[in-house]
Amino acid sequence: MSAVPSLARWRDAAPALFLAVLVAVITVATPDFAQPGNLLGVLADTATLFVLAAGMTFVILIGGIDLAAHTIASLSSVVVALLLPTLGYGAFPVALAVGFASGLFSGVVHVRLHVPSFIATLATSGVVSGVALLVSDARTISIDAAGRSQLAWITGSVAGVPAVVLIAAAVFLACAFVQRFTRFGRRSLAIGAGEPAAWASGIRVGRQKIIAFALCGTLAALAGALLAGRLSAGTPVLGNQLLLPAIASVIVGGTAITGGAGGIGRTLIGALIITVVRIGMTFVGVNIFAQQVVFGLVLIAAVAVTIDRTKIPIVK
Amino acid sequence: MLETIGLSKSFGSLKALNDIDIKVGRGEVVGLVGENGAGKSTLMRILAGVEQPDEGELRRDGEPIHLSGPLDAGRQGIGLVFQEQSLLLNMSVAENLFLGREAEFTRFGLIDRNKLHAAARQQLAKVGQTIDPGKRVSELAFSERQMVELAKALTLEDRVDRDLVILLDEPTSVLEQAEIDILFARVRALRARASFVFVSHRLDEVLALSDRIYVMKDGAIVGAMPAAEASVPKLHQMMVGHGLHGEYYRENEQRPPAADAVLVARGLGSGRAYRDVDLTLHRGEVLAIAGVIGSGREELIRTIFGFEPADTGTLEVFGKTVVLTSPADAVARGIGYIPRERRVEGLVMLLSIAVNTTLAGLDGVCRRGLVDHARERAVARSWIDRLAIKTSGPDLPCSSLSGGNQQKVVLAKWLQAGSGILILDHPTRGLDVGAKEEVYRLIREVCARGTAVILTADTLEETIGLAHTILVMRDGRVTAKIDAAPGAKPAQVDLIEYMV
Amino acid sequence: MSLATTSANHGERLRSRLRKTAPLLVLVGLCILIGVTSPNFLSLPNGIRVLTAASIPMVLALGATFVILVGGIDLSVEGNIALSAIVLSLVLSGPLGTLGLWAVPLAILAGAAMGAANGAAHVGLRIPSFMVTLGTWFVGLGLGTVLLGGGTIRIVEPSIRALSLTRFVGLPLLVWIAAAALLVAWVLQARTRFGRHVYAVGGAEDLAALSGIRVGRIKVLVFILAGAFYGLAAVMSAAQIGQGNAAVGDGRLFTTITAVVVGGTSLAGGDGGVIETAIGVLIVAVLANGMILLGIPPYVQQAVQGLMIIAAVAISIDHRLFRIVK
Repeated sequence: MSAVPSLARWRDAAPALFLAVLVAVITVATPDFAQPGNLLGVLADTATLFVLAAGMTFVILIGGIDLAAHTIASLSSVVVALLLPTLGYGAFPVALAVGFASGLFSGVVHVRLHVPSFIATLATSGVVSGVALLVSDARTISIDAAGRSQLAWITGSVAGVPAVVLIAAAVFLACAFVQRFTRFGRRSLAIGAGEPAAWASGIRVGRQKIIAFALCGTLAALAGALLAGRLSAGTPVLGNQLLLPAIASVIVGGTAITGGAGGIGRTLIGALIITVVRIGMTFVGVNIFAQQVVFGLVLIAAVAVTIDRTKIPIVK
Repeated sequence: MLETIGLSKSFGSLKALNDIDIKVGRGEVVGLVGENGAGKSTLMRILAGVEQPDEGELRRDGEPIHLSGPLDAGRQGIGLVFQEQSLLLNMSVAENLFLGREAEFTRFGLIDRNKLHAAARQQLAKVGQTIDPGKRVSELAFSERQMVELAKALTLEDRVDRDLVILLDEPTSVLEQAEIDILFARVRALRARASFVFVSHRLDEVLALSDRIYVMKDGAIVGAMPAAEASVPKLHQMMVGHGLHGEYYRENEQRPPAADAVLVARGLGSGRAYRDVDLTLHRGEVLAIAGVIGSGREELIRTIFGFEPADTGTLEVFGKTVVLTSPADAVARGIGYIPRERRVEGLVMLLSIAVNTTLAGLDGVCRRGLVDHARERAVARSWIDRLAIKTSGPDLPCSSLSGGNQQKVVLAKWLQAGSGILILDHPTRGLDVGAKEEVYRLIREVCARGTAVILTADTLEETIGLAHTILVMRDGRVTAKIDAAPGAKPAQVDLIEYMV
Repeated sequence: MSLATTSANHGERLRSRLRKTAPLLVLVGLCILIGVTSPNFLSLPNGIRVLTAASIPMVLALGATFVILVGGIDLSVEGNIALSAIVLSLVLSGPLGTLGLWAVPLAILAGAAMGAANGAAHVGLRIPSFMVTLGTWFVGLGLGTVLLGGGTIRIVEPSIRALSLTRFVGLPLLVWIAAAALLVAWVLQARTRFGRHVYAVGGAEDLAALSGIRVGRIKVLVFILAGAFYGLAAVMSAAQIGQGNAAVGDGRLFTTITAVVVGGTSLAGGDGGVIETAIGVLIVAVLANGMILLGIPPYVQQAVQGLMIIAAVAISIDHRLFRIVK
C-alpha cells in the first residue's frame, strides 16, 4: 500500500525529469541548442502543437477523446485563408466560431446521442474535413501579401520573442486558470475521476462534457489559425500530421487516458518533450516517417503507463 | 453429497462468514435464509467456486475438494442458477446451453447446427420446455430464461458421473407468481436427479420449496430445522435475533417532527417496480421504508433522487410540484443522496476531502463565480471538526479515510449543499459497529436541526430504531404505515406481516 | 432495472427486428431513389462498377466486423494497408520478384503480423483497442514509408495486375475475391467455434470467461484475422492502382467503419455480423456511386459518411443500458 503513493509521485515527476534529461543530452551533443535564440525557436515550434494539445487536455480529463481536433485546425486554416481578403481581422473570430461549433457538434453527438466519444469525433472529423475540402475545393489557398500584414500578430515578435510563443503562453495561463478556478474546471476533474459520484452529486455531467468538446474545438481552430499564419496558407489537410503528436503530448505529459488526473501544466511538458524528441531525432538523422513510428509507439507506451485500470474492469 | 466444515471468510476487518457447517443431502432442497449481510451470498459464492474460503473445507461425497473457479465447481457437478444473469442475451438458446463445449458438435471444424439443436431440445425437455433452441435469449420471457438457466445447469449431467448440486440464488426475484409456480414444480420434479440449495428473501417460498432450512445471521448459522417444523414468524425471529437496543439507536434523542411537510408524493408509480405510492415527509422526520428485495423500495428512492423518473403520480418538494429527471434536478431542489455504493456514487475517491465536501455545493465557496480555494479548505476543515472526521487534513484523498469517515464526508457534502431532505440508501452498509453508532448519532443530530430523512436500512432493527414513521412495501405497493415514536416502537413481527 | 426490462421485452423485440431490416430497406430505398433520378444507375455496366468499387471496402469491412463484434475497434486500417501494400511491392521489385502471385501470402502475412501486434498490445497491456490502433495506424504508415524510403514503386508483375484487369463471367477478379472473402468470413462467423466465441466475448466478456472461453486469445485472434483481411485488401488496392506507396490506404478507415456500423453491427459488441456488413458496404458503395452520377463533389462523401456513422450508432445504442459513455 505504501509503495503506491511513491510510485504515483515518481510518475508525476517523470515527464519533467525526462524533459530535463533530454535537453541536457542534446545540449551536450550540440552546444548551440541551448542558445536563447534556438530555445525560442523550439518554443515557437511547440506553440501550435501545444495549443491543439491544450484543447485536447480538457477532453481527455473528462475521460473522452477527440479525434476531430486536427480536422478542425485544417478547416480553420482554410477559413482564415479564404476570409482574410474580405473580412480582414474578422476572419479570425469566424474561424474560432467555426471551431467552437464543430466542437459543440462533437460534444452534442457524444452526450445527447450516447455515441462513444472516439466514434462521435471520428465521424465529426469526416464531416469537418469534408466541409474543409468542399469550401477550399481541395486546394491549398495561399494568403497574398495584403493578407499577410494581418498575420503579423502571429508571425511577428515582441522584444525578440516570437508572437506565437506569447500566444501559447496566454493560452497556457487561460487554461490553467479555467482548470483551477472555474466551476467547469473543478467539475470536469470530478467527472474524470469519478463520473458516477459526480453525477450523483448533482453535477450536470453532460453539459460539462459538451463544454469540454467546444473548448477543444475552439483551441483547435486557434491552432489552425496559427498554422495558416506561419505558412501563409490554408490547406484542408494541414492538420493531419498533428493529431497523433497532440494526443501524445497530453498522455506523455502524464494525463491519464481514463481521465481525472493531470492538467494543462503536464500537457505543456508533454508538448515540449514531443518537440524536443522530434528535433533530436531530426538531428540524429531519423527521417520524418520513422519519427511517426516512434510517436505511435510512444503513445501506446505512455497510455500503458498512465492508464487507471481500476476504472475499466473490462478493457474494450 | 455436499458439505462444508468450519468455513470462514473475511473481507478486511469484516468477518463475512464464521465457522459455517452445512450439509446438502441427496435429492434434498436446502433453503438458506437470513437478512442482508448475513452472509448468504458469500456462502453461495464459495460453493460456486467464485470465491475461496479463508478457513475450513468443502466436501463432496465425503472427500475434501478445492474449487479454484466456477469451471472447477462445474467439474464437481455443482451448477448455478442466478437470476437471469449468466445467459448471453445476444446468442441463441442452444448456443448458450453448450457455450464453451462447441467442440462436441463440430464436424471437420464446422459446427453441426442440427446436432446442436437436437441436443438442446433434449436438454430443454428435462425442464419441460419446448422453446425453439434457435431463438435468441433476448427474445425470451424471464421465466423462460430461468428455465434455460436451469437446463444449462443440468448439462453438467453429461459430464459428471455423480448427482448434481444446483445453487438457486434468488431465482424468483424477477418472476411473476405463475412463473414461480412453474419453476418450483420443475425443481420438485428434478429432485430425483439433483439436490438444490435455494436462497430467497421470501420466507414463504423457502418454506414451500425446501426440505430443510438453515438460518444465517451475522455470518454464522443460527438455526437448522426441517421445513415442516418451521414457520415464517419462527424463521424471522431467528434471523433478526432478539430485543431492540434503544440506546444504540439513541431513541431518547428522537424528537417529534415538525408539522410542515417538505416532500409529498401522490400516486407515484414506475413500470412494474412500484405503483400508487403516497408518502409525506415532514421536517425533522426519519421516514423509513421497509420491504424485501422486489418490494419496490429501492426503485422508489431512486425516483425521488431523479435517477429514474416515475411514470405516474406527482411529487411535491418544499411546496412546489416538481419533475425530477436527473440527480442534478433533485439537488437543485434541496435533496441529497447518501448511496450504498459509497465508493462509487458517494465520493470521488482519488480527489481530496475538500473537493468532495464541495462537490454538490460548489457555489458556496465561490467568489465572483470563481472557486476560492482558501475558503473551500476552511469550509472543509470546519466540517472535519463538526463531524469529527478522523484525518490529518482536508487535502488528503478520500481513499485515505476509513469507511465510517468516508460516510461522514458524504454527509458533509450534502450539509454543505444545504440539502433539507436526505435520502439514506443503506447508510451503514459495510461499516463496523463503532462507525455505525457515529452515523446514528449524526442522523439524530441533523434531524434535530430540521433535516428530513428517507431511510432504507439493511436490517429491520435499524429501520425501527431510527424511524419516526415506517412505510412497509410489498410487491410494489405500500401495505402499511406504522408509527414508531420513541417508547412505542413496533415489534419486528408487526412489520413482517406486511412485508411477506 | 431488470423489472423495467420485462415490460420492455416486447418493444425490445420489435426494435431489434426493425434494426435488423432497416439497413436492407435503406439499401433498396437508395437504389430506387438514385435509379429514378439518374437512369444510368440501373444499367449493367454501372452495376459492375458499383460491385467493383465495393470489393476492396468489402474485404476491409469483413475484417473490421470481427473486431467490432468482440466490442473493440481497429483504427489501424490505413496503416495496415500501407504496410502490406509496400511489403507486396518491395517483394515483387526485389530479388524475390520472380515469386509472382506467391508474394500475395507474404503481404497478407504482414497484415496479420500487424494485427497480432495490435491484439497483443491491447490484451497484454490492457489498454483500450482504439488507443492501441491509433498508435499503430501511424506506426504502420511510418514503417511502410521507411521500408520504401519514400516515394512509390510501380507494380508491373502481370499476375498481380491481372487481379484487377481480368474478368471472369463478366466481373473483375476483385469482385470474386471479395465474394470469396465474404463466404469465408461467414463460415468462420456462423459455423465455427471461433465464431461462437467471438459472439460470446462480445456479448459479455465476463460470462464468456466463466464458460471457459479464453477471452484474451479470442481477441488476439480477431485482430490477427482482421489484419489478414486488410493485407488481402492491400493486395487488391495495389493491383488496382498498379503501385505501392503509403497513400494506398488513404480514406479507407472511414469507409470501413461506416460500412460496418451502417450495416447494423453494434459497437457495443456481440450483435451483427458479416451479412449485415455486406449490406453496409453496398449502401456506402451505392451512395458513393449515386453521388458521382448526380454530380456531387467527391469530398462531400466523407461528410455524408460521418453523418451516417452518427445516425447508425445513435440508433443502435440501447439508451437504457448506457448511462456512462466515454
